Amino acid sequence: MIKTKTWIFLFSLLLLGSGLAAGLLFSGATTADVVEIRQDGRLVQSIDLTQVQESYSLVVTDEKGGSNTILVEPGRICISHADCPDQVCVRRGYLTDSAAPIVCLPHRLVIQAAGETDLDAVAQ
Amino acid sequence: MNRKLFLPLGLLLTLCACGQAPAEAKTSQLFAMDTVMDLTVYTEADSLMEDAARLVSRLERSLSTTDSHSEIYKANTTGSAALTDSTSQLLDRALGFCEKTDGALDLSIYPVVRDWGFTTDSYQIPSQSELSSLLQNVDYTRIIYSSDQKTVSLPQGMEIDLGSVAKGYTSDRLIQLFRENGVASALLNLGGNVHTLGTKPDGSLWRIGIQDPLGDSYLGVLSTADQAVITSGGYERFFEGEDGTVYWHIIDPKTGYPAKNGLISATAIGSEGVYCDALSTALFIMGPEKAIAFWREHQDFEAILVSEEKEVFISPGLAGSFQLTEGSPYHLTVIGHD
Amino acid sequence: MINRLTRMGLLTALALIIFMVEAQIPPLVPVPGVKLGLANIITVYAIFTLGPRDTLLILLSRIFLGSVFSGQMMTFFYSLSGGILCYLVMLLMRKLVTRRQIWVCSVMGAIAHNIGQIIAAILLARTPALIVYLPVLLLSGLLSGAFTGLCAQLVVDRLHQP
Repeated sequence: MIKTKTWIFLFSLLLLGSGLAAGLLFSGATTADVVEIRQDGRLVQSIDLTQVQESYSLVVTDEKGGSNTILVEPGRICISHADCPDQVCVRRGYLTDSAAPIVCLPHRLVIQAAGETDLDAVAQ
Repeated sequence: MNRKLFLPLGLLLTLCACGQAPAEAKTSQLFAMDTVMDLTVYTEADSLMEDAARLVSRLERSLSTTDSHSEIYKANTTGSAALTDSTSQLLDRALGFCEKTDGALDLSIYPVVRDWGFTTDSYQIPSQSELSSLLQNVDYTRIIYSSDQKTVSLPQGMEIDLGSVAKGYTSDRLIQLFRENGVASALLNLGGNVHTLGTKPDGSLWRIGIQDPLGDSYLGVLSTADQAVITSGGYERFFEGEDGTVYWHIIDPKTGYPAKNGLISATAIGSEGVYCDALSTALFIMGPEKAIAFWREHQDFEAILVSEEKEVFISPGLAGSFQLTEGSPYHLTVIGHD
Repeated sequence: MINRLTRMGLLTALALIIFMVEAQIPPLVPVPGVKLGLANIITVYAIFTLGPRDTLLILLSRIFLGSVFSGQMMTFFYSLSGGILCYLVMLLMRKLVTRRQIWVCSVMGAIAHNIGQIIAAILLARTPALIVYLPVLLLSGLLSGAFTGLCAQLVVDRLHQP
């Protein structure tokens, strides 16, 4: 049997490591220029935040009627309202770092920094 | 009047003035015509998206080849049908396109496409004799259409499908609906048929990727406004025979076989979705030489043609707005005016 | 037999109540999947005092009923993938820890639970980028697992004094 002290040591290491990683991932202050709004992995819209001159909001509804209101402001974006029970996406605030997307799991909605593409649609 | 009321009233008025709502984007996703339709519309009117959904389902019901309530189904099964205004209008335009493209587009190819299994996804390679007998009933000139009486009748054994123009027509009707309701900016993506209304709300052009027919990514980017961008390619629906030959869903009405005339993708860009939809199919079937000749003759649309040799031909009007993806293996050529 | 059924029913009801009450508390950290997971106390307790089969039944009933009551079918998939992985890891850990190390088993289970949820989220939302939440969820699993584990440890100690 492994000693309790060993367990505590192992967990402490893991705590430290994941704490550092989490801090690094969420502390970034740079905002991505182009963000993508995806539902079920499908691109709903991509927005170049540097091009936004006036704030506007965007309502995205999933096939079961669940909706998220996305607030697009010059240079930043957040979910301002959602009809999901946990409200995690609203409380998350603005997308402040390109690494950690805003997620609404109940509606499978993701707002993330765009990769290489900043397309509005693909003709296929 | 009590003076104390002025301050709050004034404040309220100021608030109302500030509260003038900026353009709000509404998105909706519809599952219709065997595909997913994504609509992004900048509007204040909540009911507009519902109107759009109703319009799409109404058109789908008229144009379906499998819904027993549809006019096309009735024409195919009984040999004739009375048409609603929409269907009549579309059929009129579609027959015009068949003629204009000299039969590269043919509405009566439907039984052949079905025989290959492309309508049901149970693919098979029909025998030569089967195809020959089916091809006897493929001839759009024998479709009898009366624009006055809004009726269509088909000779024995002929069946038609407006599928090659239905999505383009639908996006035209949606754009028309949005425009009539004061919408200045919208992006419609009807299963890969892209149609834009105006520019983006901030005034910049829409950036539309064109699918790379040989890969998962995109071939290049087109900056555009107020245009339909419609691509046809063999990659959309195909199957592989036992010998490894690829058979795709775009059938050449002259042979009854998948059109392999040198193009692997054809994109038509123009203000009218229905025309671009018809053209993308027709140009693909024509192959590069005929397609380029067709563009030179008409010059009422823009085109992006991708050949088997990884040659990308674009019409001169796109020279400033279309860009190949960086590091692309394709070679770009601008079509000359003569 | 009746004893067993009663005990399982009671534990399921308890787990469900804890689950529902916790769902009413707004999340402490605005990251999906970060929560105390108090219902895990019951799972840990069951795995050390009842058999693996009974524990699984209690867990599945709680997840199913919890999703039905909260009216969120999506919750079901996330809870199920997390719950199953947590259960499997705790089953394994039970053989590796002593009676005084019940909380260790719970920590490992909580971590497994959060990994299971993140996998489900990546698959359902089709967004591989969600993996960046892993460190936060590991952190949350460590802390909440230790807390629920100590609770379960206390309960087992009090109810089953040797």
